Amino acid sequence: MADKAAPVIRLRDVTKSYGVGSAKTPVLRGVSFDVNPGELIALVGQSGSGKSTLLNIIGGLDTCDAGEVEVLGLDTRKATDAARAKMRNESIGFVFQAFNLLDHLTVLDNVTLPASFTPDAKDLETRGREALRRVGLADLAKRRPGELSGGQKQRVAIARALFGNPKLLLCDEPTGNLDSQTGKEVIDFFRELNAKDGVTLVIVTHERRVSSVAQRVIAMKDGMLVETTDEALAAGGGPA
Amino acid sequence: MMPAKNLVKMVVGNTLRSRRHFILSAFGIVIGIATFVLFLASTEQVGAVLERIFPVEEVEVVAPQVSLLGKDISKRLDDTLVQTIKTRPEAKRVLPRMSLQFPAYGDGTFNGSHLSLEIGGAADGIDPSYVVDDAALSAKEHEFFADVFKDWESDPTPRTACVPPGPKDPNPCPRTDRYYCDKVDRQCHHRVPVVLSPTMLELYNTQFAKSHGTPVIDQDFAKFIIQQGGMERMRFTLALGVSVFGSASAAGKSREVEATVIGISSKAKKIGMTVPLAYISRWNTEFVSRDAGKTYSSIVVTLAQREQLAVFAQWLQDKLDLRLEDSLGEKFATVVFVIRLVLVIISLVIIGISSINIAHNFFMQVTERRRELGLLRAVGATQTDVQLVVMGEAGLIGVIGGVLGILCGWLLSLAVDGLSNHYVPNFPFKPTTWFHFQWWILLGGLACATFFSVIGGYLPARKAARMQPAAALAAQ
Ligand SMILES: Nc1ncnc2c1ncn2[C@@H]1O[C@H](COP(=O)(O)OP(=O)(O)OP(=O)(O)O)[C@@H](O)[C@H]1O
Ligand SMILES: [Mg+2]
Repeated sequence: MADKAAPVIRLRDVTKSYGVGSAKTPVLRGVSFDVNPGELIALVGQSGSGKSTLLNIIGGLDTCDAGEVEVLGLDTRKATDAARAKMRNESIGFVFQAFNLLDHLTVLDNVTLPASFTPDAKDLETRGREALRRVGLADLAKRRPGELSGGQKQRVAIARALFGNPKLLLCDEPTGNLDSQTGKEVIDFFRELNAKDGVTLVIVTHERRVSSVAQRVIAMKDGMLVETTDEALAAGGGPA
Repeated sequence: MMPAKNLVKMVVGNTLRSRRHFILSAFGIVIGIATFVLFLASTEQVGAVLERIFPVEEVEVVAPQVSLLGKDISKRLDDTLVQTIKTRPEAKRVLPRMSLQFPAYGDGTFNGSHLSLEIGGAADGIDPSYVVDDAALSAKEHEFFADVFKDWESDPTPRTACVPPGPKDPNPCPRTDRYYCDKVDRQCHHRVPVVLSPTMLELYNTQFAKSHGTPVIDQDFAKFIIQQGGMERMRFTLALGVSVFGSASAAGKSREVEATVIGISSKAKKIGMTVPLAYISRWNTEFVSRDAGKTYSSIVVTLAQREQLAVFAQWLQDKLDLRLEDSLGEKFATVVFVIRLVLVIISLVIIGISSINIAHNFFMQVTERRRELGLLRAVGATQTDVQLVVMGEAGLIGVIGGVLGILCGWLLSLAVDGLSNHYVPNFPFKPTTWFHFQWWILLGGLACATFFSVIGGYLPARKAARMQPAAALAAQ
């Protein structure tokens, strides 16, 4: 076997359940897979199948009950909170369906927000404007999120995720709140990012278009991985 | 941990963002700190005024009154006793005091108004050093007192002979402001130097000067005397052996000497006049008995430290059968201390309740802001960072609330002083302000405000830090 680069994400038998006692419901039931550097993965599945939960566990925003989670060489279950925070700060970008911009900050300040937690961060304004330029919003730096359209907001959120030049981008239904044209632009942007900059992407999505550009589609059902057949895609992706 | 500069920036930004939250949280702190500094500043001032009137570390030893078959057999306070007390390590300075034991009255034109006063029980003699070495005196006053307040009868300079002048005749003695011609020995004597207490001055200003329309005297008495035309203006005749009611002393003797008020001293007898001890001793010997000239009315003891009071009092009681005159200074100091304690506790209770209020508001706020806090975690904040941000916001509310509280307290003090100056009639020792904002009071207020706010913010901050970021971000 050829020497392969270490995987960006390595999951082994990850389980997770919510609730206690009789109300305890399993959400992840032994999930295992690897994501290699430079891959663009689509994570699909019916609503409630555990996609967001899995993505959050990968990003260290949630914890699993059992199993192994290794992200960018860090065993997130054993690592300290500070180590996980540092990894999120330096190497991971998040894009959420709900944008999660801070309304009291300007667009530029939203983009440079991660630098608040980086020691000796320099050239914030320049780097922030550069990130905005990449998503085509250079002119809106001094606006407030409240003055932007949904698509613009999501692009600001993407600029924020890209601000620290992350190795890994975790996106939870990034086009869920956008119209199909805007959604397409965002997807194209992701593909370009993957192709040009080699950023590894894991995108949770219902859209067939995303799965079509992905190098690999991981499908989930009831907290487990299932065969990535067209059937499953159809079930997870809903109407095309 | 996030860089301190970024922490401060984020805390300030977040605090300025929600004015409603700020007002709700800071309100109690402002009131609490306003009362805190106001109470401390007022008790500080009142305590200082009282201590000026009644020094605490100075006590007076007296003999308990004992009588047998109508005869006074109280213990005699004499030089032997003074020496014994001097051996005690607690006693820094021991000075006997003697009161005039026979009738006398003062008669003179004091500052232009004719005054006639019974002096008999109200004249005291004290060692001049007691008055001259008063630490409260300015260098100028000290020099003046050292020059004048002494026993001039033992002055070795030979006296000039003189012919006693008639009522309209000028003073035949040299330096008319200081010397007078004695009718009995026909020699020029220095006038008996008299000091009065600030209490007397206040009584004069608030009671006499007002009703007589004479000028009010300020505390810088020496300046006043010069303004008014020198010491000669302050002289009066002391009729020894004669009461203002006309009755003569037991021996039927009487004679007149001249005296002059040379200044104001807080060491002087509160109500009455004070002269160097030698005069009283001599007059008591002359008009009463040799014994009377050697018997003191009390012994003033200055303690090295005020804490030694109890030990000293016990020793006096056990070994000498003497007691301390109830020290008003001690009593007032205790009263002021207790009042201050009660008031500070009240304001601390207000501040404590504000702290709980802050906790309550912040619990609600971190719940409202959980998406924002979750996002901070997603972009790289540690649990500690989130804890510091929330506690920092509470602390900033404390700092601003503290400053506003101090400001409110100060404005309130101005209002109280204004009302007091307008509506409260003058009385002896009425201060121009009822508040003394010592720097430690202001600093204490600020520290208290910050401390209690941070304490209030602690639990909400911990809750914020422990939130699962995924759940926080999923919140609506
Ligand atoms: N905080 C929580 N407490 C209890 N149950 C939860 C919690 N978060 C998620 N769940 C449950 O876990 C299951 C998986 O949820 P998850 O959000 O991962 O699904 P999903 O695949 O992302 O669905 P969708 O496509 O609708 O976003 C669901 O049944 C959900 O009800
Ligand atoms: Mg989801």
